[in-house]
Amino acid sequence: MKRRLLPLLLVLGLAAACTSTPKAQAPTDAPGADALANAKGETNVEFWHSMKGANATALEALTSTFNKEHAGKIKISPVYQGSYDETVTKYKAAVQQKNTPTLVMIYDIGTRFMVDSKQTVPMQSFVDADKFALDDLEPNIASYYKVGGKLQSMPFNSSTPLLYLNKEAFDRAGLDVTKPPRTLDEISEYARKLTVRDSSGKVTQYGFNAAIYGWFVEQLLATNAEEYCDQGNGRNGLATKVNFASPTGIKVAQWWADLVKSGNATNTGRKTDDAQAAFKSGTVAMHLESTSTLRGYLDAAKGKFTVATAPFPKVAKTSTGGPIIGGASLWINGVGHSAAEQRAAWEFTKWAVGATQQAQWHTGTGYVPVNRKAVIDAAPQFGTAVTQLHDLPPSVASAGCALGVMPQARKAAEDGLEAAITDTKNADEAMTDAAGTLKSPIDAYNRAVK
Amino acid sequence: MSPLPRRSASGLGWAFILPSIVGFGLFIFWPLGQSVSLSLHGNDLFGRPSAYVGPLNFTEMFADPEFGQVLLVTLGFTVLSVVPAVVGALFVVLLLEARIRGVRFLRTVFALPFAFSVATASVVFAVIYNPAVGIANAALGSLGADRVDWLTDPSMALVSVAATTVWMNLGYNVLVLSAGVGSIPAEVVEAARLDGATGWKLARGVLIPLLSPQLFFLVVVSTIHALQSFGQIHILTKGGPNGQTTTLVYSIYEKAFAYGSSDFGGASARAIVLLLIVLACTAVQFGVLERRVHYR
Amino acid sequence: MRKLPVYLVLALAAIPVLFPVYYAFAGSVMVPGDLSPPALFPRSGIRPGNFGEVLEAVPLARQYANSAVQAGVITASQLLTSILAAYAFVYLRLPRFVFWGFLATLMVPVESIIIPNYLRISDWGLARGPGTYLGLVLPFLASAFGTFLLRQSFRQFPAELRDAAAMDGAGHLRFLFRILVPLSKPAIAAVGVYVFLSAWNQFLWPLLLVRDPSYQTLQIGVSQLNDAEAASPGLILAGVVLSLLPTLAIVIFGQRHIVRGLTAGAVK
Repeated sequence: MKRRLLPLLLVLGLAAACTSTPKAQAPTDAPGADALANAKGETNVEFWHSMKGANATALEALTSTFNKEHAGKIKISPVYQGSYDETVTKYKAAVQQKNTPTLVMIYDIGTRFMVDSKQTVPMQSFVDADKFALDDLEPNIASYYKVGGKLQSMPFNSSTPLLYLNKEAFDRAGLDVTKPPRTLDEISEYARKLTVRDSSGKVTQYGFNAAIYGWFVEQLLATNAEEYCDQGNGRNGLATKVNFASPTGIKVAQWWADLVKSGNATNTGRKTDDAQAAFKSGTVAMHLESTSTLRGYLDAAKGKFTVATAPFPKVAKTSTGGPIIGGASLWINGVGHSAAEQRAAWEFTKWAVGATQQAQWHTGTGYVPVNRKAVIDAAPQFGTAVTQLHDLPPSVASAGCALGVMPQARKAAEDGLEAAITDTKNADEAMTDAAGTLKSPIDAYNRAVK
Repeated sequence: MSPLPRRSASGLGWAFILPSIVGFGLFIFWPLGQSVSLSLHGNDLFGRPSAYVGPLNFTEMFADPEFGQVLLVTLGFTVLSVVPAVVGALFVVLLLEARIRGVRFLRTVFALPFAFSVATASVVFAVIYNPAVGIANAALGSLGADRVDWLTDPSMALVSVAATTVWMNLGYNVLVLSAGVGSIPAEVVEAARLDGATGWKLARGVLIPLLSPQLFFLVVVSTIHALQSFGQIHILTKGGPNGQTTTLVYSIYEKAFAYGSSDFGGASARAIVLLLIVLACTAVQFGVLERRVHYR
Repeated sequence: MRKLPVYLVLALAAIPVLFPVYYAFAGSVMVPGDLSPPALFPRSGIRPGNFGEVLEAVPLARQYANSAVQAGVITASQLLTSILAAYAFVYLRLPRFVFWGFLATLMVPVESIIIPNYLRISDWGLARGPGTYLGLVLPFLASAFGTFLLRQSFRQFPAELRDAAAMDGAGHLRFLFRILVPLSKPAIAAVGVYVFLSAWNQFLWPLLLVRDPSYQTLQIGVSQLNDAEAASPGLILAGVVLSLLPTLAIVIFGQRHIVRGLTAGAVK
């Protein structure tokens, strides 16, 4: 009997399993101001984000100010959804269940997926409907979120990577913190001088540390003016392969592996929190991280050491590019949301990128103000990122790669980097193998959206 | 009144098992069929099954060099987490039998980790292992030893995660084996002692054979639990470094839910493999081990 | 003292077992300066404020309640369905394949069917709002484990017991709930403890299903602390200690009662 039962149930399950969602039509029109004016009572806007620590505090300060100004009319309810990756996963589930939040913060590399998911109203439609002046937006930032010439989402928390320095460590080594290393080779050289060993030869201060974070590979390639994926960084059509196993990508992996092998750098793994903790503890002299951690660093280092910031290094002296805008942007979901909700989300978005709000956001976090008119009155460390952004030569490379499976591509780059750093494979093999694993996900994605 | 009709109320029988059958049907058997179905389909952007692709997900899985590593890691994790936890608990319980004072207190001490869930245990170990501010490396440093990259060194990470699991399961194992020792009739032990059996001889000749049902139970249950482990890997390493702690269950999760991936097809193919392995383990363990276990 | 070596070995073995417990408690009241760089003792004073801060950072109290509801409902439902099914297996006529079907469910690892279950519960709209409570428990309302255990226990009663009850005019339901259940209290308690603890400790299912922190269970809440408060180990450990208290109390004070539940499966 038991032999017959299982197959029977299996067949039953098989028959029931096939259901698929019909192809959606992307919403394009933005509701006008009357949608909200005619709405009764308070319009609630659920807002998913990935901010934590000092950045969460700063975000809540913004939303509560906005809610006070619009009491009885609009209420923004921010909900922390975990990391950017987790937010995308949860967003996918929400699309399935037809209960997306009205407003969602999605990281830069989720842009292509968000467009393909056909759930959101392009930000451009709201901009056009309101004749909102986009001129105030930093052009380099805005260009990242333009697909097909239209602004898809509103940049909000934009970051660029920085080289963080421990000033006292530089002083003790007789180095000038105002003359920071500019290239990978210079970092290696400085790291050697900045590494301190005790009498038994044990390292008490590392010259360099950074999380094994794929974002840095994307950044370094861009500084060398190289595109991260084909099809003009995925802006001319669906990208079909990634480029991080290029000679530059391999050079980056080799450089990092050598640093760790020499003992002048430590490997704290992929968790950015762990690398951040190492820098905050004062045992690391040079460190790569996003501008968005600056506020947290200044708070943590108070009384222990002085945090200095320097432009993100370039691959070599001959490199002509610059880093990419990272961070995240705000998307307004159209499917399943009333005109009043969409409008309310837009009201908040518009307000949040205002000059005053962006100045406050910048000093509370370290994120670059997306508004050019934001008047900045903050510690000098904050200025590095803004200058770096303004100096950025506009190019396809520094607009970043628009790839549907970009989160997986970032993870694959980390796989490669980690294999090289932990000496599991040589740098060439590590990066080439890692890039190879992306073939099937990219193909599958492109098949799915065609 | 007449006696209840014995074994005749078939309708009532069905009524009584109906709630269970509905539950099993909806949430075990039906999904089992769906897992098979999903593994034979491609996916749209959100992971919903799209076209029928035949065994493509399986051929891709077996062609993937990482899949071989996943199986090896799963095996390694199972051995590293089951054997020390069972042997360690046996060792402790046998020592507690050496007619010493404070057995109850000591047993409670060794049972304490049982109060930890996979989440709480892993979070505590994450703090201890932390590469920057972990007490483990600070302790090594003050002893003059080199730091260890507990969770980022590819040759160390699996051991560290398994150690957390061993620690977590030790309490449970001690409780189970203590209960087993408690149920051994005192006369049996006394008789052996009168025959001059003490220490290791007593343990080997009497206690361990009499504990074999509990040991067998622990091996079966811990092996199946180890195959299903997820929380400690998710919290401590997320499967890294370099996939050195990516077990089968973790690979299912990664394919289906991590890094923006929603490859439910590939994940389901792996889920089928997991099902088959667990079934095989149950069969082997019941078939082979049971015959050698000493049942009273 | 002949036993000295035994004590020494036990004490040595106790160090690695106790250290994480100690460090969780000690760290939960340490000031940041004693955690980075880490110290073995709270040498710069005690900071109970960690507890207040962690309760502010995450809705732990709410998640406590969520876990209690989730584990409580699962336990109550599994007990009821298992009691009924076990009774049917012992006292009522059922085809043999039903027995094998129940046995088969024990061999299916939850992880191998988690994707379809996730899709189904999501489709039913039970992954949002208050419906989440239902989504959390629905796949776990019945269990063959409890059924087999209680079946074992029911079978120990002599047939005369039931015949006597029937003579007094008791039907199946009355016999079951008035006589059999009270007599089987230890077995039922054993199943209850086991089921409650497994439900309370669940990890993967709530992690996948729940998006709103106010419907999240305690275990996930605590594990997310590890990311969200990565900069403050003191807060993380305070959260761990808070969530640990109920199970710790069970292990210390109720040890003897739980052993039966945990080992129930061992006695064949």
